[in-house]
Amino acid sequence: MSMVATTASVARAQRLVGHRARAGRGVLWAVLLVALALSIAPGLYMVSLSLMDNPQLFAGRLVPWPPHGENYPRAWVASNIGRLYWNSLYVTTVSMVVTVAISALAGYGLGRIRFAGRGLAYAIVLVGLTIPLQIALIPLFINLRTLGLLNTPLALIGPYTAFGLAFGTYIMKGFFEGLPRELEEAARLDGAGDFRIFAWVMLPLTRPALATVAIFLFLQNWNEFLFALTFVTEGRMRTLPTGIYALLSSEFYGNYPILAASLVLFSVPVLVLYFLFQREFIEGLTAGAVKH
Amino acid sequence: MRLHTAPRPWRQAAAGYGFVGPALVILGAFLLYPIVYSLWLSFHEWDGYTPHWGPFVGLENYRALADDEVFWRAMLNSIVFVVVRTPLEVSLGFLLALLLNRRLAARSLMRTLFFVPVVMSLIVVTIIFQRVYEPNTGLLNTFLRGIGLGAWAHPWLGDPATALPAVIAVSVWKNVGFSLVILLAGLQSLPHDVLEAARVDGANAWQLTFRMITPLMRPILALTALLSIIGGLKVFDLIFIMTRGGPTYSTEVLATMLYREAFELNHMGVASAIAVILVAVVLSIARVQAFVLPESQEWGTG
Repeated sequence: MSMVATTASVARAQRLVGHRARAGRGVLWAVLLVALALSIAPGLYMVSLSLMDNPQLFAGRLVPWPPHGENYPRAWVASNIGRLYWNSLYVTTVSMVVTVAISALAGYGLGRIRFAGRGLAYAIVLVGLTIPLQIALIPLFINLRTLGLLNTPLALIGPYTAFGLAFGTYIMKGFFEGLPRELEEAARLDGAGDFRIFAWVMLPLTRPALATVAIFLFLQNWNEFLFALTFVTEGRMRTLPTGIYALLSSEFYGNYPILAASLVLFSVPVLVLYFLFQREFIEGLTAGAVKH
Repeated sequence: MRLHTAPRPWRQAAAGYGFVGPALVILGAFLLYPIVYSLWLSFHEWDGYTPHWGPFVGLENYRALADDEVFWRAMLNSIVFVVVRTPLEVSLGFLLALLLNRRLAARSLMRTLFFVPVVMSLIVVTIIFQRVYEPNTGLLNTFLRGIGLGAWAHPWLGDPATALPAVIAVSVWKNVGFSLVILLAGLQSLPHDVLEAARVDGANAWQLTFRMITPLMRPILALTALLSIIGGLKVFDLIFIMTRGGPTYSTEVLATMLYREAFELNHMGVASAIAVILVAVVLSIARVQAFVLPESQEWGTG
């Protein structure tokens, strides 16, 4: 008798838990979907604006119908985006490649060779990780001006390389430290020198770390604004962020859809890369926080 | 590392500096030298144009800042920016991470989408949100009118009372995905058997979250907060493009004031003093973290 009662109450309790679990599930999805909507709405709004004309915009429309695709070719010409792409790609790629190479060397030195002064060298790298780049803004501006390098690609390549180095070295050091020692010892017994061991034995093993560093640097440099604003003031040499920024004070400010189309054109390459290499992007951008 | 049975220090040093040398030269030229240079400039008066920097004025630039209302306003705004932004960013990120930390359809797709704002360029984000906040036809006011809350429509960026909160909201929007991803990775690395044991002992989801998971996550929550604080103190692009520090300095922060003093007012000495103060604040916070957060000392400054 009591056995039956217990079974019944257990069944009731289970039903109750089942209801609560379903309700909880509903709340969970509601919260997630609202958050998701909030996080993608501004991007969709930008795309929508880029397909409107001014009357639609001023009517406060949300859906661009009929769509004005001609904004894109007009934006391409008006904001000289081809030129901006080229400048950004050039500056970003060169500084990324140089930084990755120098970081790999330094990461190997700090991670696998014991030498006097290693602690101090690593401390300098760590300072570079935390310090606001504003500290270098005025000195670099003055020195670049003295050297006549303002408004040249070098004015950005140099600082981008330097300010990516700390991050790159930090990640590469961590990765090199984790590699097994046996490989290195075997190569040394075969008579390989330090550089040979680095280049032929160790470096090929660090491909994931290299990808992480490269993506982080690419994105950071592609989006960099403060140095670009200060060191490159001529239209011809501008990169995408400052080139787009300059549109704000140009005649196109009145034509928001053209501006929005330029923003979409600016964002598309990075978003395409992101969706293709999400794992590497997320890893790259959070690698400094979560150690492998 | 015991690579050699008979270590030869000079050889090790040569190899070490051979590898680390290029990085040190570059960091020296672009980081250490500018730090010294800025410190030096902060003790001088200079318009940035005369061939040599002006007269040595000792701590005069710092004194001038101490007397400058705008500086204190910028300092206060920087603090408010951080104090409001960081808790929002970390708690919202943690909430979403907790929600995503279970078997869920489309979980990795959602993580991917939540991270999109982090990947987007800040300048793009800023220009979009300028439009979102636009008083007459912007998305926010249009939306408010649409749901019958037209009375709440507001010139968000034009009113000194709402400009800073509006800018902070954009910053939170942009960075929540970052906290989310770090915290989710943290959650997934928690010891499953401990949590399972607690569940078996009858802990409900609420107790599990607040008595078990949150304490275990403390180090990584603190790290996320620290990254957010340091990022918040450096904020420049967002405010410079969105409001230029206005209206009436209501969104002026240290970094925008520095830029204005240096490149619009040609006060290189004063601007350098601001840079030095900014660095001092950031480094001391990174230093404090070494005590609060022994696990990630590496993020300190050595």
